[in-house]
Amino acid sequence: MNYDVMLDVRGLNCPMPIVKTKQELNKVESGKILKVLTTDKGSIKDFQGWANTDKTIELIKQETEKDENGKEIYVHYVKKK
Amino acid sequence: MTKNISPSELYEKMLKDENITIIDLRSPDKFKNHKIEGKDNFRILNIYYAQMIETGDIDKDMKNYITKNLSNAISKDQPIYVICSEGGTSEIFARNLSELGYDVYNVVGGMKEWFNYYDYKTVIETPELSIYQVSRISRGDLSWIIISNKEATIIDPLRHIEKYTDFINQKGAKIKFILDTHAHADHISSGPKLSKILNVPYYLHPYDAIHPIDMIPGKLNFEYLKDGDVFNLGSAKIEVIHVPGHTLGNVVFLLNGKYLFTGDTIFILSVARPDLGGRGETWAPLQAESLYKLTQLPDETIVLPAHFSKISEANEQGLYIEKLGNLKKTNDALNLLITKGKEEFIRFMLSSLPVFPPQYVEIKRVNAGLIEVDDEKADELETGKNVCALSQAYV
Repeated sequence: MNYDVMLDVRGLNCPMPIVKTKQELNKVESGKILKVLTTDKGSIKDFQGWANTDKTIELIKQETEKDENGKEIYVHYVKKK
Repeated sequence: MTKNISPSELYEKMLKDENITIIDLRSPDKFKNHKIEGKDNFRILNIYYAQMIETGDIDKDMKNYITKNLSNAISKDQPIYVICSEGGTSEIFARNLSELGYDVYNVVGGMKEWFNYYDYKTVIETPELSIYQVSRISRGDLSWIIISNKEATIIDPLRHIEKYTDFINQKGAKIKFILDTHAHADHISSGPKLSKILNVPYYLHPYDAIHPIDMIPGKLNFEYLKDGDVFNLGSAKIEVIHVPGHTLGNVVFLLNGKYLFTGDTIFILSVARPDLGGRGETWAPLQAESLYKLTQLPDETIVLPAHFSKISEANEQGLYIEKLGNLKKTNDALNLLITKGKEEFIRFMLSSLPVFPPQYVEIKRVNAGLIEVDDEKADELETGKNVCALSQAYV
């Protein structure tokens, strides 16, 4: 999956993943895609809920990866419309 | 200074009908799925935190949002309770509200804590007979512990077993057996699990060990209940009355001829729906017959149901119980059955069915021992309030 900017907010809990993502989106042009890495499981539903209410973004994809220690990372691809 | 409040403290305030304004910061989807509901003086606003974030400086963004958009909706003279999913966002928001001069409480642990919060109330407490109401408030689920001479039973135990075992241990009693009034569709029973861990029998009517929609037998370790059975618990007697309708194996338990544990038959505000087995039209006449049979018990009989729909159903002691004689007048469905007869009552029931929650089929599979789920999946299946009564209970 292609992306333009990667944002690593691993270790942060709600509300910070979305706050940091919004902050990062302020810096990029429309059409750009952010890849956001989180470790907060609640962020999966949080990003979905956010995308349902915010018309300026699109949640393109969510997936789960594992880090070198086998710990789960939740990955969100967010596009600035 | 941000003040914290626990789910139990909040619930006690809600029971007293204090003036309460809650701000729920979760996304509209989550809010729609499940939210706190209160009495008349209760108000809840869904203000999604993500829409407050502009610059990314969270304190500045929240304060801006409050000043610009909330100053008309909330007052500095009345307490405001803030809640989110797990308590992190609400703590930050509460601090910002408080710094702007509002009287704020952060609901600790958020909806996650509220969702799994159990309330305990005493119906009666003597060495010969004690009855305790154990309620999972967020879902409107009620269960009951009976203790007589240190022997205990649980009627309709909800999913979290330690909520029962800890309480009963504290009372110095020992669980003798577990009773379910029926195979529940809205929540997961801990009856089979308690039975296995404590090595005590779990009783259920055998008709309810068959999944009504899959039409296949469950895989449960249980003892058969039947109409007329009598259990001895200490010096107390518990009689089984078979009342099919909500399920085919639905029973109620009459304790010492006085306390009627009605499960899903008679509730305070309404009666149980007959369609959760997928055969509403066939089961509605059975339900009418069964409910009518129960109305023939003495008016002094005390009804202790398995659900409530609204917190306003609680009496001054926070108990969701009422005398049968009073319910015959105040419970609209029951009153209709008595005054207009079974035919009209059946028509009324079938025209008052709320939406059938699709996950109820799956929950019944869990309760029939056909599938197992982990806590996360169980939380998901049990999201929201029970929908076991007729629709007027939810208006």
